[in-house]
Amino acid sequence: MPEIELRIVSLRKTFHPGLFERPVEVLRGLDLEVFKGEIFGFLGPNGAGKTTTIKAVTGLVIPDSGEITIGGLPHDAMAAKRRIGFMAENPYLYQHLSGREYLRFSADLLEVAPSEIDDRVAAVLDQVSMGGRGDQTMRTYSKGMLQRIALAQALLGSPQLLILDEPMSGLDPIGRRDVRDLILEQHERGVTVFFSSHIIPDVETICDRVATVIGGRVHGVGAVRDLLAREVESYEITFTGLDPSALRTPVESAHRGSDAAWVRVAADRRDDVIRELAEAGARMMSLTPVRSTLEDLLMSLYEEGGAS
Amino acid sequence: MRAIRVIALSTLREALRDKILYLFLGFAVLLLASSKLFGILTVGDQTKIIKDMGLAGIQLFLMLIAVMMSVLLISREIDSRTVYYILAKPVRRWQFLVGKYVGLLATVLVNLVLMSAILVVLVWLYGGGVDPRLLIATAMIGVEMAVLVAFATLFSVLTKPILGSIFTLSVFVVGHVSQDLWLLTRHLPESVGRTVVSALYYVVPNLERFNLKTEVVHGLPIPPEAIVWALVYGIFFTILVLTLACLRFGTRDLQ
Repeated sequence: MPEIELRIVSLRKTFHPGLFERPVEVLRGLDLEVFKGEIFGFLGPNGAGKTTTIKAVTGLVIPDSGEITIGGLPHDAMAAKRRIGFMAENPYLYQHLSGREYLRFSADLLEVAPSEIDDRVAAVLDQVSMGGRGDQTMRTYSKGMLQRIALAQALLGSPQLLILDEPMSGLDPIGRRDVRDLILEQHERGVTVFFSSHIIPDVETICDRVATVIGGRVHGVGAVRDLLAREVESYEITFTGLDPSALRTPVESAHRGSDAAWVRVAADRRDDVIRELAEAGARMMSLTPVRSTLEDLLMSLYEEGGAS
Repeated sequence: MRAIRVIALSTLREALRDKILYLFLGFAVLLLASSKLFGILTVGDQTKIIKDMGLAGIQLFLMLIAVMMSVLLISREIDSRTVYYILAKPVRRWQFLVGKYVGLLATVLVNLVLMSAILVVLVWLYGGGVDPRLLIATAMIGVEMAVLVAFATLFSVLTKPILGSIFTLSVFVVGHVSQDLWLLTRHLPESVGRTVVSALYYVVPNLERFNLKTEVVHGLPIPPEAIVWALVYGIFFTILVLTLACLRFGTRDLQ
């Protein structure tokens, strides 16, 4: 059994917006375990409870009930907070400071030894490719540059658990690649990375495991391929010796090329088509399961969530 | 302690970068102009007028700084969500709030020192010598501001910036008529109004305890025990109000 870095048990949170507004139940008994050293993606549509979960873990929101531990420690213990590097969805930084000044301030709060602050700040500025712009006031920065400084402050304390809320949102392709590389670099150093994202290809590429959250509960957890494997809904069959229009079994789509024909059928009708092809003396060339993408999975979850 | 110091210094720096010291320059110009004007209109000891106007001016300007900066800086930190990155680090919520309080009070005190220096120099230029009692009076204004900034801190975590400013201003006004409230309760008949007035008297600190203008201007004695009691009173209220602010902030969701 792998060691657990972050454990969330039965987390519940209801917001009370005001006297005349209805309470909003955002988290409804959310359970989650993130193993040490893995990259864990946290997926779900807007309003599913991703950001509230992250805020509860980082102590910004106080849960109504449930338990959160980080490295086995209660999440609000200072020792637990020392393990965390956190980056919020939007870079909320002091615009009147330069990037370097802000990172010095952050290093001070992270209790970095005063003699080491300048070296540490210079190192993380280089890590996020901001070495040459560190002395500019942050109000002159682009969103991508602010995002890099926000990431730099998360890395300053050499965290064991990196919590990133939508780290790629608003970045251009180069920025996204840099963030992805940084996550992988931290992963290689043994850092656990827990991040939420809407950028599905990035999640598919770099995550060891993902959790899908819908309506304040975790819907499914596992390796990306395992989650998707359950979602094989159709098959593509290529064959010769029979016109697709002659098939009695209903197909989703069909195409007749110069050499072979091709049909897509629902998974539960695969065997019917194979039997028909055999009876007609046709020759089956290939049978390919069509796996849904993570995006398809999220869309179906979203529809389920919308219905519930 | 390091977190409080770091947040306090950052708050002071932010306030100074907001050009808050321009208010001090405004005070200097206003004091010089009014002392010239009243110098022409007044027969007798001009230094009394300068002391009186100077102390009143210091109190007014510092009150404005305390009300505006305190509510603005703390609310800005919460509304612009820069507080997220602070509280996700090993910093307790009460440390953040106390750090903000100390930084804001330091901003007010920097202004107090500069304004007091202007006043002392002006009195000296008009032949009033260097009056140490003047410094005691300005120091007591500093204690009053410590209480007022604590109230501003409390209101900034309880409500929106505009309401927070209005409430803090109300504490300042009611705090200076506190003695009158007490007299009023003795003359009002038993009613809801009397209960409200008497509740106000007990909840809002009596800020006149920190007012030594009359004694300084007219050369009356300042009993040391009055200073000690005013200090104890100021510290008590500051700690009480800050504790309430920390308790409220400790249970608040940051969205």
